[in-house]
Amino acid sequence: MTAVALSDPVVGELRRILGEPYVLTGKADRLNRARVPAPFPVHRWAERMPDVVVMPASTEEVAEVVALANRLRIPVVPRDGGTGLTDGAVPLRGGILLDVKRINQIKEIDLVNRTCTVGTGINALKLNEVLAAHDLFYPDDPASYPCSLVGGRIGTSGWSLIGSRYGHTRDLVLSFDHVLPTGKVIHVGDGIGGKITKSSSGYQLKHLFMGHQGTLGVATEATLKLFPKPEAEFSPFWAFEDYDSAYRAVGALARAGVATFAAAVLFDEWKVDYLRRDDEAYIPQPSSVKALVCAALYGYDDEVRAGGRRLMRIARDLGARYLGDEISQGDWAARHDRYATPLHGRTRAGQVVPMSWHCEDASITYANLPAVRLAWHEIAAELRRTSDVFDDWGMFAYTNGSTGADYLTEIDIGIWERRLDDASWAAWVKAKRDLAAVALRHGGSISACHGSCREGEVDLVPEELGGGYDIMLAVKRELDPNNIMNPGKYLLDRAYS
Amino acid sequence: MSYRYDREMTPPPAERASPVAITRFAHVFEVDPALMTEHVLQQVFPNWDTLRLVRSRADHLAWMHRHFAHTVISGEELLDDLD
Repeated sequence: MTAVALSDPVVGELRRILGEPYVLTGKADRLNRARVPAPFPVHRWAERMPDVVVMPASTEEVAEVVALANRLRIPVVPRDGGTGLTDGAVPLRGGILLDVKRINQIKEIDLVNRTCTVGTGINALKLNEVLAAHDLFYPDDPASYPCSLVGGRIGTSGWSLIGSRYGHTRDLVLSFDHVLPTGKVIHVGDGIGGKITKSSSGYQLKHLFMGHQGTLGVATEATLKLFPKPEAEFSPFWAFEDYDSAYRAVGALARAGVATFAAAVLFDEWKVDYLRRDDEAYIPQPSSVKALVCAALYGYDDEVRAGGRRLMRIARDLGARYLGDEISQGDWAARHDRYATPLHGRTRAGQVVPMSWHCEDASITYANLPAVRLAWHEIAAELRRTSDVFDDWGMFAYTNGSTGADYLTEIDIGIWERRLDDASWAAWVKAKRDLAAVALRHGGSISACHGSCREGEVDLVPEELGGGYDIMLAVKRELDPNNIMNPGKYLLDRAYS
Repeated sequence: MSYRYDREMTPPPAERASPVAITRFAHVFEVDPALMTEHVLQQVFPNWDTLRLVRSRADHLAWMHRHFAHTVISGEELLDDLD
């Protein structure tokens, strides 16, 4: 905790910049912004409290706040929807929590160039409600679609469920205004930025300022790429009698080269067992169902039908059983909103317990999915053997792209937060480190989506990036000379030692 | 909805749907109450509220489809095309 951040002169200066109502010091205001949906040691909540919350309304106000913090050496943690699963929006050293939700205006919808420019505090669902009037669509679709914000998607370089068709956040965000840790404002994009989608002029800085988890500043206004709202959606779900058949099928579907293909997802045996506990789609399924695959296509009706027939034929020839329209359509629609699902796990005796969801993810090539799956479940089984605090909820593998090369691979672990203590938290952190090590051993990346700056996996980031991690340290030191921007993340304190 | 309070507060008899789930209303599955006796206790819900929750979920999913695309294509229709 920084003593200086709570001192009256600092709070007074923040109120001068932002106005009285937008500088919050109440305990509830700060508690509600001290965590994200990922489980954390509740008994250590106080360690994550910001000293003060600020809610600026413009790039200029953000810049003033950050410049003040830099001058006084006060930590600043940017926070958007707070839906990330790697604690990027969680303060580790108190200071100022900078909540961007008021920067949520739609500045422009450019129907000619098919772009829009928005404040980064806007949510994609709300944006798409407005775009629908123009029959347009911004297809950035995380599991937190109804509650995540554009700025958080930039800060985490988010992954989109339908990214195999439309690209992920890095592809959909063309450019943005960015407040550096010194308070200086720059515009980041390809070349001149703005609405340009491809430039070879200068260094390609856009990716540098995406996925930094708030350690390099704050995006405040972004220009986004738009698409026609899809005329048709098709989302078939298929059952298989064994994992290997489902694995072969998902690979074949992803490699089929269907232009409207937006996603394919593989559910393993553990996931099917988990769904049989309380999911209305899977409770009635016969015991022969051991694994599942789904796919999603978006586009004009005629092209989706043609691609859909091709995928249905591929799945049928590989031993699939179509689960029917009701399950297929219902389950797919639920995938856009997984944060709304009430969660509970089971003790080893079978009793229901309230649990939080933790999704540990990695990018894994198709060829290595089966081996990673077995190694990850062994790690989860070890947690489960020792404690009722942990529950293995199975694995999904989602296509990262349209060619089927690699997959966002996730294992979902239920965690009984109220029972977490130092020992079980340490076991969890070790498990996270072990899961990340398995990903690296198989040529994967520690995270496809969430980031890798949380306790456990973060220890292996220098190993994953190699010489690139030294560049990260040098960039951090140069852009944030006083280490005020989200300090303590990604082991970046090393830049100053 | 029933006119009498006690009828709304008395759910239909349970039928076993799986080793860990039961069903009281058509196509509505519930976790076996025997598994909810120690750490999570079942709440008492009037029948109308149980059905309202289920229908609200269906409404939400239908809304999500409309939000993402104008129409949804039936896999059963496409399967018929293959045969």
